[in-house]
Amino acid sequence: MTDASNMHIAVIGGGPGGYAAAFLAADLGMKVTLIDRELNPGGVCLYRGCIPSKALLHVAKLIEEAHQAKNWGLEYADPKIDLARLRSWKEGVVKKLTGGLGQLSKQRKVEYIQGRASFDTSNVLRVSREGGTEESLSFDRVIIATGSRPAIIPALKLDSPRMMDSTSALDLPELPKTLLVIGGGYIGLELGTVYAALGSKVSVVEMLPGLLPGADRDLVLPLHKRIEKVFDSILLNTTVAAVKEESGGIRVSFDGPEVKERERVFDKVLVSVGRKPNSEIHGLEKTQVRVGQRGFIQVNKQLQTDDPAIYAIGDVVGEPMLAHKASHEGRTAVEAIAGHKVAFEPNAIPAVVFTDPEIAWCGLTEAQAQKENREIKVARFPWGASGRAMTLDRTEGMTKLLLHPQTERVLGVGIVGVGAGELIAEGVLAVEMGAVAQDIALSIHPHPTLSETIMESAEVFFGTSTHVYRPKRSA
Amino acid sequence: MTEFKLPELGENIDQGDLVRLMIAPGASITEGQPVMELETEKAIVEVPSSVSGTVKEIRVKEGEKVKVGQVIFTVENGAGGVARTASAAKQPVPALPSTPPVSSSAAAPESKPAPARTAVQTAATAPARRATDTGAQTEFKLPELGENISEGDLVRLMISPGARVAEGQPVMELETEKAVVEVPSSVSGVVKEVRVKQGEKVKVGQVIFTLEGAAAAPTERPQHVPVEHVSGQQGARLAFQAAIRAEGKTEEQALPPDAPAPAIPTFAMPAQLGKVAGTAHGEPIPAAPHVRRLARELGIDIHDVKGTGPGGRISKDDVKAYSKSLLASAAAAIQAPRGTQLAQPELPDFGKWGKIERVSMRGVRRKTAEHLWEAWSTIPHVTQNDKADITELEQLRARFAPKAQEAGGKMTVTAIALKVCASALKIFPQFNASIDMAKEEIVYKQYIHIGVAVDTDRGLLVPVIRDVDKKNIVELATELTQLSKKARDKKLIPAEMEGGTFTITNLGGIGGTGFSPIVNHPEVAILGLSRSSMEPVWLNGKFEPRLVLPLSLSYDHRLIDGADAARFLRWIAEAFEQPFLLSVQG
Ligand SMILES: Cc1cc2nc3c(=O)[nH]c(=O)nc-3n(C[C@H](O)[C@H](O)[C@H](O)COP(=O)(O)OP(=O)(O)OC[C@H]3O[C@@H](n4cnc5c(N)ncnc54)[C@H](O)[C@@H]3O)c2cc1C
Repeated sequence: MTDASNMHIAVIGGGPGGYAAAFLAADLGMKVTLIDRELNPGGVCLYRGCIPSKALLHVAKLIEEAHQAKNWGLEYADPKIDLARLRSWKEGVVKKLTGGLGQLSKQRKVEYIQGRASFDTSNVLRVSREGGTEESLSFDRVIIATGSRPAIIPALKLDSPRMMDSTSALDLPELPKTLLVIGGGYIGLELGTVYAALGSKVSVVEMLPGLLPGADRDLVLPLHKRIEKVFDSILLNTTVAAVKEESGGIRVSFDGPEVKERERVFDKVLVSVGRKPNSEIHGLEKTQVRVGQRGFIQVNKQLQTDDPAIYAIGDVVGEPMLAHKASHEGRTAVEAIAGHKVAFEPNAIPAVVFTDPEIAWCGLTEAQAQKENREIKVARFPWGASGRAMTLDRTEGMTKLLLHPQTERVLGVGIVGVGAGELIAEGVLAVEMGAVAQDIALSIHPHPTLSETIMESAEVFFGTSTHVYRPKRSA
Repeated sequence: MTEFKLPELGENIDQGDLVRLMIAPGASITEGQPVMELETEKAIVEVPSSVSGTVKEIRVKEGEKVKVGQVIFTVENGAGGVARTASAAKQPVPALPSTPPVSSSAAAPESKPAPARTAVQTAATAPARRATDTGAQTEFKLPELGENISEGDLVRLMISPGARVAEGQPVMELETEKAVVEVPSSVSGVVKEVRVKQGEKVKVGQVIFTLEGAAAAPTERPQHVPVEHVSGQQGARLAFQAAIRAEGKTEEQALPPDAPAPAIPTFAMPAQLGKVAGTAHGEPIPAAPHVRRLARELGIDIHDVKGTGPGGRISKDDVKAYSKSLLASAAAAIQAPRGTQLAQPELPDFGKWGKIERVSMRGVRRKTAEHLWEAWSTIPHVTQNDKADITELEQLRARFAPKAQEAGGKMTVTAIALKVCASALKIFPQFNASIDMAKEEIVYKQYIHIGVAVDTDRGLLVPVIRDVDKKNIVELATELTQLSKKARDKKLIPAEMEGGTFTITNLGGIGGTGFSPIVNHPEVAILGLSRSSMEPVWLNGKFEPRLVLPLSLSYDHRLIDGADAARFLRWIAEAFEQPFLLSVQG
């Protein structure tokens, strides 16, 4: 085993991948330099991704619930929204968290450099500090964790404050009367949900026939139905042909078989058509690192690139572009550098869409099983039969288990409904531990909670769910 | 009501054995769709339907003989049959008195009188639609759900237009006042139109969806003509569907997956959300993360480990047990290399009786061990002993030694033995051969390359001298000296140790009066030389002191008979004794 304590490693990028790697490396006794352009570690996730979006979604949820409270005999006046206050609360959350990470770096004696890194050679980095000074630093190993940025489609490139990407949308500069979200992926739907709750008339346009492409349709359906009520319009099978700025807004022309209005004007347009890896790092061509066709840095299961001195993790190495995947990769890479025999080989990476209702899944999906022609059994539990869902007045949810037909192992879990993001953790554990349906059915779940729906899905599989009646049929 | 009768199958074929039925009552079929496989005298043929609609009754069974013209099944809501069948075998389609609509479920052998199943297919609306649609249509209406339940909220629809449904497959979830119930379909076919939406109230008797017989899809295959059996994809698919229906499998198995997700454009990032990396092995491995990590640490591929837990779950103990078994078999492989599966008896704990040291058996030692084990266990060995009087040879050797020295070599007994053996091998070619047991052949080599065992500090090495028969003793002495030095200096390359046809091993430098060398497989003989010594030899009526060289020839008794070996070795001994037999200068 390599003597880790004598190594000096550099981590480029302070996102959830980079800081997790840097901290673990320091904990293992390595000397660590963490380089990022921001004042503190945090990356996209904390500055302009997961955290600010979830803060705003929490507010959106409260607004929604206040509306819904009418049904329960509780009437609130329409909320007065103090945008400046909301903004500063959200920024406060970000500051606290990123400042905390700065603290943690100091405590671990991680050298944090605010600046930009490029490669001189495989193990010599040129670092231009925020102040303007530049220096060459050499390391034993380098971990690239430069993350990703919003993708831009040339046809939608328009230099106007009315055009937003996820970053500017999270800045919440003002509330547009009308907002068009281009792209029905999770980022677009989450941000659209925020703006809709705050009072904008939101439309979403997606070129594919359904929202959240890639997710199982039965999970998307309840969300689709709710969004239909909250959003102004959902345009599927539709592409945006052109955007043009005019005095009153952005004129957008649509294309597609179902288009009714060819052109519409929106106050603002949010482009969320995906993210691109930040692999165009200066000097990378001087190393042996290989970048694939879609811009992802190519790595092996130890997250090592073709250049033995360089590792890469997080969004810059590939899908799924999620913070928790980045962190896990970061830790794996550091352990590999320390000489441990490890590999990035999860059985389940959870995905959560923080809309209302939430959608979450992990492991195998039905869509994937179908694509790979794998035989599976699916056990579904409708939340209409959940007491807890009833008390929340949110019975549109559904929980399903994807099971191996012979071994009855849990291969995947899918959930749609309020709080699905929290519930999916049990699914991850089940898949990773190789649980079988009976393990879940025989584990007592607390009543009344939504977690019971996971247990009862397993019971549905055995045809013995307490709260779902199924007429007997021959075997 | 339409009947489907077995059409003409070809000249002189009037019947066949029904090998496989691809339909079941309630199934919707389309003209041109294969419905059964018949084994005739000439071939197995797939018989396509000439009618479309919903199968009502099947009049034949698998394994039966079926005659041309015999009714195979009847179809309800049939369409297009009559006119188009005209092109095929004469096939009158008599209308049968129609049976009540519920009979389809009654005919299904596995049907159950569950309320939700009582059926639905009313012919009433079908004829009206038939006017506009060519395909047969069936509607599915919400069946009775139980006492006093007349409606429910549609919580979830599990079908969509274009999806295939099978009888018994759940198609929706209804929330009634009492419970959430899953409603199974009582019809089979392809969903055409869904008439309800999620969230709506649905009443008993209300039409939920309509079916089509997929008649709209034009069938490419030639109609009504029995085709030679090709197990094409379609056949496989239909068979699969039929199997599901026939076995009355649960909905999970029969449930058609969601409408296929469209191709994902490169920028649609969320498509990959939650995808599992590294599923090269298909199913994820049923082992908890810490168990997988342990396997990595032990250098074991977790996929090789057999899990003993439920669902094949692999525990820490499974990994450890596997690791132990690997170590055991690795150790066995050292002791019983290639091919030999003989288990080695377990060793005692030597440490019990005193201090020991264990040293890894690597490199030359290990190779030697493997090689000799293989030789010893495949070759039935016999050793023939003889003695050669080399008194005269020794004088010659001393005389020629300076000449060899000039050339950079050393005139040794081994160098001379090389020459002697080369000549002997020419005369006795079976000693210059190999056995190919697999092909039951003897391989005679037309070349004479002789290996000489060299003792080095790393163990035994056997460099090979090529074309010994074509070199004189001085040349051989020189080459032997060079190769031996190379061997001791670790400079031999593998090629210099390959291709031998015979081996000489000389222990004379150390001592001994004789030994049994092991044949250097796949060669068939080896000559061992021991220390020559002065012995009293009975010559011309008295004992004379003579220099005598002990010779030991081990040979493969599979190829070489004892008498031949004795003759071969005698020839060698005599060659040593009368060096004139050889041309010293080559
Ligand atoms: C609106 C939005 C919402 C999201 N919500 C979620 C969510 O709910 N859950 C979830 O799991 N994921 C979410 N994500 C995705 C998540 O943010 C990313 O997957 C995650 O941040 C990736 O982490 P990373 O470490 O790979 O890189 P990043 O977080 O992208 O960090 C990379 C850092 O490297 C810096 N950098 C780049 N190049 C250099 C250089 N040459 N020198 C120095 N520094 C450099 C960048 O400035 C950046 O700070 C969301 C993303 C967005 C945009």
